[in-house]
Amino acid sequence: MSPLRAKAPRSREKRLDTLGAWFGPVSVASQEFAGDEIAQRIRTFAQSSNDDLLYALRILSGIRNSVTVIHGPRGCAAAGLYHTATGSNTRWIVTDLDERDTIMGADGKLRKSILALYHRYQPSVVFIVGNPVIAINNDDIQSVVEELHQELELPIVPVYVTGFSSQNAVSGYDTVLHSLLKYLSGKSAPTKKNETFNLLSVAEHPNDRKEALNLLALFGLELNIVPDDSTIELFRSAVAAKASIPLCPDAPEYLGLILQEKYGVPLIKVSRPVGIEGTGRWLKSIAAFLGKESVAEELHTRKAAETARKLGDFSLQGIKVYISLSSSNAFSVLDLVEELGGEVTGLTITHLDRLHVRHLDELTTRNPSLQIHVSDGQAFEEVSILRKLSPDLYLGDSTHLGQVARLGIPVVSLESLALVGYSGVVRLVRRIKTALANGSYELALAKAASPYHEAWFRRSHNWHIKQEVK
Amino acid sequence: MSHHLEASRNSCALHGALQLFEAIDGVVPVIHSTSGCGVQHYLGVTRLSGGNDTFGSPPVSSSNITQKHVVFGGGSRLREQLKNTVKVVQGELYAIVTGCSTEMVGDDIPAMAREGRDQEWPVIYTNTPGFGGDIHHGYHLALKALIEQLPDILKSREEIPSGLVNIWGIIPNQDPFWRGNLQELGRLLEGIGLVPNLLLGNGQNVASWQQVPGALLNLFISPWGEFPARLLEERYATPSIICEGVPVGNAASILLRRLTDRLELDPIRTEEFITREESRLNQQFARLADSYYRAGFQREFALVGESAQVIGIGEFLVNSFGMLPRTLVITDNPSESIQEALDSRLMAILPGYCTDVLFSEDQSEIHDVVRAGQPGIILGSSLEQEVAVELGVPFLALSFPLFDRIVLERAYAGYRGAAALLEDLGSAMLAGSKYINEAS
Repeated sequence: MSPLRAKAPRSREKRLDTLGAWFGPVSVASQEFAGDEIAQRIRTFAQSSNDDLLYALRILSGIRNSVTVIHGPRGCAAAGLYHTATGSNTRWIVTDLDERDTIMGADGKLRKSILALYHRYQPSVVFIVGNPVIAINNDDIQSVVEELHQELELPIVPVYVTGFSSQNAVSGYDTVLHSLLKYLSGKSAPTKKNETFNLLSVAEHPNDRKEALNLLALFGLELNIVPDDSTIELFRSAVAAKASIPLCPDAPEYLGLILQEKYGVPLIKVSRPVGIEGTGRWLKSIAAFLGKESVAEELHTRKAAETARKLGDFSLQGIKVYISLSSSNAFSVLDLVEELGGEVTGLTITHLDRLHVRHLDELTTRNPSLQIHVSDGQAFEEVSILRKLSPDLYLGDSTHLGQVARLGIPVVSLESLALVGYSGVVRLVRRIKTALANGSYELALAKAASPYHEAWFRRSHNWHIKQEVK
Repeated sequence: MSHHLEASRNSCALHGALQLFEAIDGVVPVIHSTSGCGVQHYLGVTRLSGGNDTFGSPPVSSSNITQKHVVFGGGSRLREQLKNTVKVVQGELYAIVTGCSTEMVGDDIPAMAREGRDQEWPVIYTNTPGFGGDIHHGYHLALKALIEQLPDILKSREEIPSGLVNIWGIIPNQDPFWRGNLQELGRLLEGIGLVPNLLLGNGQNVASWQQVPGALLNLFISPWGEFPARLLEERYATPSIICEGVPVGNAASILLRRLTDRLELDPIRTEEFITREESRLNQQFARLADSYYRAGFQREFALVGESAQVIGIGEFLVNSFGMLPRTLVITDNPSESIQEALDSRLMAILPGYCTDVLFSEDQSEIHDVVRAGQPGIILGSSLEQEVAVELGVPFLALSFPLFDRIVLERAYAGYRGAAALLEDLGSAMLAGSKYINEAS
């Protein structure tokens, strides 16, 4: 049976035993993932965190000439305004469901919206995004999709995110990529391959993509970039490509998997091209697939030397660093910090699953007592951990950097810092130098009151995380 | 049946309630909904209002319900979340707000709040599903919860000062200048011997809200203040005065005279205050004249914002600054009767001049009407910048969403606000003065 038959893929929890809440030494995490059975954890105190809907919107914000209809109440489209603010050219529409719509259904409203938008903007694709209201009501989006697809001869792609069916927002990437392939890429593998390679780039910084292209220019490949900044045509040609190169092993994992399993496009296994050695490893893995090892070897040697020259005598020797990032990013930045001579004292990652086992095992060998904290958006937990560790530097992309900085810790935001490639190392080092050179703002922030009761910091960091009772 | 909306600037009721609760020191909102609701608020509202991040993070407590709670109900999850929030997060008052999912599931929120109160926790609640209405509706719901439930939970010990005036209708972040505007309004009231109860912003806390019933008067600054004023009139027979627009420049004098008249204050003191403030503003007008004429400030403008902003800023620019009102767009979707009143008021804002007035929150409609007017400058949200760039005219961002400015204490209300507005408007004109020839 085709993996794309279902409305949405299985959640990451079900597919990869993904955990969204966990705290402990890396050796224990490694042991747990060596077993068959991994118990899900739940929080009895929680703070807001991303959901699959938000991650779906991230991907859709990068598809050119598209209109995104969030078929729900107004608030579900708030993040669309944020994507506009940060440069997305997508048109964001909300059907503005009201109480009556939640009882009577609103497929008429959806149909009218799509028709109006089609005539106004002549987009090449329309996305319909689900949300809790549509999911709970089980509204009939599918018949609208089918009717209007025929009537307008326009691809209309429903994205069945719910806001609650997975505890891990990363499942939202899978759901939207599932729909993009299902509705844009054709029912079966094409008989004839084209000459292109896919660069799988999910919610990456534009400069990261640019850097990856610069690096890959070495091999003289013709590239399809999907899904970031792509068009629907690229999804059609992606299934006929010679191979897929992921820019990250985690976010585009499902895309790479389906391209391989259903359409026969081989997936080149790589780690993330971050750090000097990390970038070299990425290039060498691709080179091995292409049979161009010596070219990659030569470039890496040259670029590594050039980067070392640019860094001069910079070292993180004696600096304790805390990292809080999406999972694959965090593991690759950990390697980079160690490469720069720094000591990583702890790690917060958004989710932990079978894709990360290699990292857990490696870290267990190197530093078994390193604390791993799995959380998305749980500022309270992080603050509690950071107070105990008191690191010299925090590298992160969370939405609660403001709370971290109030602890007086110098912060570097990686939310809009391009980290990929050799140039990413230089860029990060420049930012770290800046942050360490003057901590006066953090000292001023440290005077702001904490939102939390002091007493609760004396408890363990995970007193409120329990094993789920099935 | 409502129309779909492009790039809606009026988020949902849950977000409106969060706006209000996050603006009061010591109030901790407890979201009972799916995990993304609070992040949507942070990304789509907090981050787009120029530096208004209360906690340094998204809202600090959220039950993050999952599939299991959608199927079997989320009441027990809320019970657990509330219990732990009281333990972990410092607060004087915990306010449960709900999202669409928990409302559709039918969780009994009043019962949960009651259980909390039985434990002697200070808990209020309000049902704020996003499908119930927009951000203004959420502002109303949160106000209602505070006005109706607070007196039963916390007994006020402080004495209420005489001459206290509650100020309503300025919605945090929907008016990006809310903090500064409230402070300037407070300064004006103090100038004529009243005691302002700002209720929101720096230093305003639960105790400020406990004083609400003892006020002499409710002053409301936008159509959205009518609801709490009516509620308070019913409960405590407090009279109220409406000022439909943020009073900018000499409009403040009119308001101060009305208050003096209504509350039988000392008119001599009021006139002295007004004279002092107006003469200062007039000097600033005079110092600006050279730039005004040289760079051609006098031109047609388009103004896009909430009704109180459009009235207040629009009337100031027309009545005191010689500018020509080409297009006025009101984005906060006021009720039909208010729309009618505003429509006739704004159509005749400059008698004999043809002004287009539009009520819309849909980006494509707004941009069409602004573009068609061919204004010489655009004042609006950051979303309108693209039209300004397209037309090659100067642009000033002053309404929500605001993503290319930081606003901490800046005000456009009152006399000082008028001067700040002239600074910003003049700077935008000068920065864009290379376009003067086309625009004038």
